[in-house]
Amino acid sequence: MTPMPTATGLTTAGRPPGVAGWALMAPLATWLGLFVAAPLVILLAYSFCQRDALGQVVPAFSTHNYARVFDVVYLRILGSSIFYAGLTTILCGIVGYPVAYYMGRAPPRRQSRLLMLVMIPFWASFLIRTYAWMTILKENGLLNGLLYAARIIPDVLSGPMHLMYTPFAVVLGLVYSYLPFMILPIYGSVERLDGSLIEAAADLGAGPLRTFGRVILPLTWPGIAAGAMLVFVPSIGMFAVTDLMGGNRVLMVGNVIQNQFQGAGRDKPFGAALGVTLMALFAVSYLLAARSRRDRTR
Amino acid sequence: MNDQQLADRHFARRSRQVSRRSFNAGILAPVVGAALLPLGCRRSIRSGSASEPLNLLAWSEYVPPAVIDGFTKETGIKVSYATYSSNEEMLSKLLAGGTKYDLIQPSEYTVEALVRQSKLAPLNFDRIPNLANIAPDMLHLPYDPEQKYSVPYMSGTVGIVVNTHKVAKPVRGYRGVFRPEHRGRIVVVDDPREMVSWAMNTLGLNINEVTPQALERVKPVLANWIPLIQAFNSDSPKTPLIDGDVDLGVVFSGDAAICYQQDRKFQYVLPEEGAHRFIDNLCVPTGAPHQATAEQFINYILRPDVSRLISDKFPYTNPNLAARKLLTADQLANPASYPPTAGKLETFRDIGAMSSEVDKMVTDLRVKYGR
Repeated sequence: MTPMPTATGLTTAGRPPGVAGWALMAPLATWLGLFVAAPLVILLAYSFCQRDALGQVVPAFSTHNYARVFDVVYLRILGSSIFYAGLTTILCGIVGYPVAYYMGRAPPRRQSRLLMLVMIPFWASFLIRTYAWMTILKENGLLNGLLYAARIIPDVLSGPMHLMYTPFAVVLGLVYSYLPFMILPIYGSVERLDGSLIEAAADLGAGPLRTFGRVILPLTWPGIAAGAMLVFVPSIGMFAVTDLMGGNRVLMVGNVIQNQFQGAGRDKPFGAALGVTLMALFAVSYLLAARSRRDRTR
Repeated sequence: MNDQQLADRHFARRSRQVSRRSFNAGILAPVVGAALLPLGCRRSIRSGSASEPLNLLAWSEYVPPAVIDGFTKETGIKVSYATYSSNEEMLSKLLAGGTKYDLIQPSEYTVEALVRQSKLAPLNFDRIPNLANIAPDMLHLPYDPEQKYSVPYMSGTVGIVVNTHKVAKPVRGYRGVFRPEHRGRIVVVDDPREMVSWAMNTLGLNINEVTPQALERVKPVLANWIPLIQAFNSDSPKTPLIDGDVDLGVVFSGDAAICYQQDRKFQYVLPEEGAHRFIDNLCVPTGAPHQATAEQFINYILRPDVSRLISDKFPYTNPNLAARKLLTADQLANPASYPPTAGKLETFRDIGAMSSEVDKMVTDLRVKYGR
C-alpha cells in the first residue's frame, strides 16, 4: 500500500487501511483480479499446452511453443514490430509536439476549441476512419484521382501510386490512429509550463533554440514520455491496421498473435507464448527504465 | 461492392454483434494495454424480444442481411450473425466455448472433421422438407454419405481472377499467377489449406494426401510465392481487385463473379493444374440451444425465393435447383458462378492431425517470407 497523504499532512504509512479503505479498493481490485490477473494466469498456462487437429487446446505440458518463439524467424518479427512501433512513436512525436505546444500556449478559449478538434475523430468509429483511408489511398481512389485531375499523373509521375497494402500505409494508419494519444499528454505538460521560466531564459541571453533545448524540452519531457508510452505500447500489438491497410501481410507480431487465436493459424498455445514473451519484454524494459531513472535521481 | 457498402456492412454487423474488427476499436484505449485482449469476448446483444435469438456463425459476406431480416420478419426470431473467414477460424470460435452457436457453415472437409469428432447434431429432416430443392448430385457426398448432418448452402470453386486490362499474357494456372513480374499485384484468400493445395496441384500431388514428405516439397514452392503476394484477404478478396490495387487474385468464385459483374475485364480462370471445388453446408453443432429454430432457418433458406436472394448478392453456384430457375440468364451465364467447362476439380477431405502441420508451416513461411 502506498502511503496516502491525509488532510493534516500526516501519512497513513505503516497502518493497514481500514474497512472503508478496502471497500473503496474492492471494485478496482476485483476488476484487476478478474480481468487482468486471471487472464494472465490462463495465458501463461495456455503457453505451455499444445493444440489438437481442430485447434483446441490440449493440456499436455510442452515447452515447444517457447522454442518456436525464440526461433530467429519470430525474433525478427518481434524486431520489426519494435521498429514499426518505434517509427510510429517518433513520427507521432514530430507531428504532435508542435500541435500540442501551440495548443498549450493558446488563449484558454481557443485551447478548448483546439482540444475539441483533436477529439472529434473519436466520434466516428475507428473502422469507418480506416475504411476512409482505404478510399483515399486505393489505386482508383481519391488521392490518385486528384493527382490525375491535377495532371501530375501521367505528366510527372508515370502512373498511379501504389500505396495500399504497403508498410507506408501501415505506418500512416498507425500514426493517424495514435496521434491524439501523443498530443494530449504533451499538451498537458505544455499547459502547466511556467511562462516566466521561458522569459527568464530569454532575459539571461538564451536564443529560441537554446531556450527550447534547455528549458522547454526538459520541462515537457514527462508529457513526451507519457505520450510515447501511450503510442508505442498499443501500436506494437496492433493488428487491425496491419490487417486492413497492410493486406494482412506479416509485419508485426500483433497479426501473428491474433492469427493464432482468431485466424487461420489457430494455435492458441503458440499465440499465448508469443503474448507472454511480449509482456515479459515490456515488463523487463519497464523495470530497466525505472531502475535507470532511480539511479539518475540518486 | 464499393467501400461505402463495405463500411455499411461492417456497421450493420457491428450493430448486431461485437465483431472481431469492431471490437478492436475498443482496445484503442491504450490504457488497456495491447497484451490484455480479452479473448473470445463475443456475446450477442440481447434484445428486448421475448423469443431467444438464433446464433448463426457464418462466413463473412455470405448471408445477405435481407435473408436474415426476412426470417425475423416472418417468425419474430432475431438472428445474431457472427462471422469468420476460414473454416479453421470457425472451428476455433465454435470450440472455444463461450457463445453457444445454433448454426454453422462448414465446408465439406470441415463437416467431415466435425462428424468424426461427434461435434455435429443429426438433423431432423422432417422439419426441412425443402431439401427436395437441392440438386441430387450435391447430396450423399463422401463427407456426409448418409446425409444426416448437413444441408448444402452454396458451392463454388477457388480460382484465378485476372484483370485483363493490366495483365496481357494469358494466365492459365497457378504458375502463371505467381511469376516474379506479378510481384505486389496479387491477392489471395487467407487460408493455409488452400495455399498448400495450390502448391500441391502445381507439383502434381494429390491435394488430399497431405503427408510430411508432401509438405517438404510444398515448402519451397510457397516460399517463392509468398513474397509476391500483396494482400491476404478472405473477407472480401474482390475489394483489392476492384480498387485496382492488385491485378490478379486466387479467390472464391463468388468474389470472382462479382468482379465480372462489375467489369468484364475481370476474367475467371479455373487453374489448369486443378482447383478446389468447395461445398459449404448448414450444420447444427451438438449442444446447440435452439436446434428446432436452426432447422426452421435451414428450411427457410432452402425456399427458392430466399435462396435466390443469396444468389443475387453472393453469386456462388447455387445447389438449389428450384432457386436456379428464378435466376436471370445473365446470372446463369456468369462464368465464375456456373463455369462452362468442368476443369479438374476436387473437394477437400479431412486430413486430421496433418492440418496442424499445414497451419504451422504456412504461419512460419508467412512470417519468414512475407515482407
